[in-house]
Amino acid sequence: MGVTCVCQVPVAEGKSVQQTVDMLQKKLEQLGAIKQGNFWVDCETYHATGNATGQPSKLLYVMHNSETPLSCMALFEGGPGLAADANFDVLMVKLKSHFQNAKGHKVESRGTRYRYCDFLVKIGTVAMSSSARGISVEVEYCACVIPGDCWNLMKEFMQSFLGSNTPELPAAFTNKAEGLYSPVDCMDTMSQYLELFSKVRKQQVLPGSGVR
Amino acid sequence: MADVMNVGVNLEAFSQAINAIQALRSSVTRVFDSLKDGMKNKETLEGREKVFITEFQDNLQSVNRDLNELERLSTLVGRPSESHPLHNSGLLSLDPVQDKTPLYSQLLQAYKWSNKLQYHAGLASSLLNQQSLKRSANQMGTSAKRRPKVQPSTLALPTQYVDDVISRIGRMFPDMSIELFRPNGTSAVLLVTLGKVLKAIVVMRSLFIDRTIVRGYHENVYLEDKKLDIWSKSNYQAFQKVTDHATTALLHYQLPQMPDVVVRSFMTWLRSYIKLFQTPCQRCGKYLQEGLPPTWRDFRTLEAFHDTCRQ
Repeated sequence: MGVTCVCQVPVAEGKSVQQTVDMLQKKLEQLGAIKQGNFWVDCETYHATGNATGQPSKLLYVMHNSETPLSCMALFEGGPGLAADANFDVLMVKLKSHFQNAKGHKVESRGTRYRYCDFLVKIGTVAMSSSARGISVEVEYCACVIPGDCWNLMKEFMQSFLGSNTPELPAAFTNKAEGLYSPVDCMDTMSQYLELFSKVRKQQVLPGSGVR
Repeated sequence: MADVMNVGVNLEAFSQAINAIQALRSSVTRVFDSLKDGMKNKETLEGREKVFITEFQDNLQSVNRDLNELERLSTLVGRPSESHPLHNSGLLSLDPVQDKTPLYSQLLQAYKWSNKLQYHAGLASSLLNQQSLKRSANQMGTSAKRRPKVQPSTLALPTQYVDDVISRIGRMFPDMSIELFRPNGTSAVLLVTLGKVLKAIVVMRSLFIDRTIVRGYHENVYLEDKKLDIWSKSNYQAFQKVTDHATTALLHYQLPQMPDVVVRSFMTWLRSYIKLFQTPCQRCGKYLQEGLPPTWRDFRTLEAFHDTCRQ
């Protein structure tokens, strides 16, 4: 459980999603990172039904992360979130009358997980209904729990293999009530992924990026 | 070794003597050959006998000549030096089977090696004795007269005094909290929490710091049964490096007569780690070197360096 930063890497000019992912992986391996298996993060959308007067129904996002396989996170966009165990999915089925699953909106990111010293890097392909829509990169510095302390360190590391695609300090940390110097929790990672998935959903379908 | 052996030997006369031995051998062989061949074929018996006897006399005279020559040369050759460098074991060198049992040469090598070792050990001990590395105030090798007298030892301090010193140091730094436990008898075990960066477990022996282990702020410091876990290493390489540096620090800060000053200096040094992830290295200016932040803190100036940028 360390400070995580999730960012989206644009597909390189004239290359496909898979080729860009391969390029990133090769750069990481040149640095000296070791492959440590696979990861996945997924997100399902639920509409809150039964709302009084024509208020836009709130969207509940239920997310899973292979890093915490026995947990399930549920959050509203920009709002409160909760972490529960895997039975929460079953609970959502039981609450069918209040929350409806928007089946076509499931977004997931799958890819490989690398370890470099105390860093964990996950490079994944973001896919929605089996079509690759983008590339997600998550960098976690496991040794530290305060984002304000290690942000410069993480930025230096990300620059070494992302180059100009290095992101700025994620809004998840700057928007926190307690500020940059409070310890992180799993919700910060999930809200960053949620932001990325929402951006990907709004994007147009990339040409020639179908994944069969 | 050959030089020492032949110091009294005239090499010229030696080679001449060897030649003389060969000449003597061949003349003796000639004598026996002529005896074996017997008399040569001549007309008369007297002629045959005469020839045989002259030949025999010639051969014997040449043997005599060669023997005298050899005796003359042997007096010139001289004696090899009596003193064997390794006394009786020097006689091993006379064994002719050198390749099957190279005992003598191996023996010489062993002696040379052990002499060198002794010499180097002497040098090393004189260098090491210049630095007094004793961490306690007890002196070694006190004379029998002084031993019965009780020497004031800083190793047996009352626990209350230790508690007071530790709590005073804990109050010195606002971002560092020190908790004192005594899980095993009178030795104190401190749990030092430095901001939100790290937790260090310091095992003491009265007021001397014995061992320290540093782990991340979010790592578990307790065992299953709520006791402090003083043995397992940190899961993160950065903190494993900091543990090694802390061990170096507690060997560096030493003052046997004033242990509380030592504990204070150690804690001041440890406190410089509050900015472990925020400070770049003073030498290379970067935050990361091989994935590690600058984990070394200079003992005098408390500046941050990478472990590899240290020197």
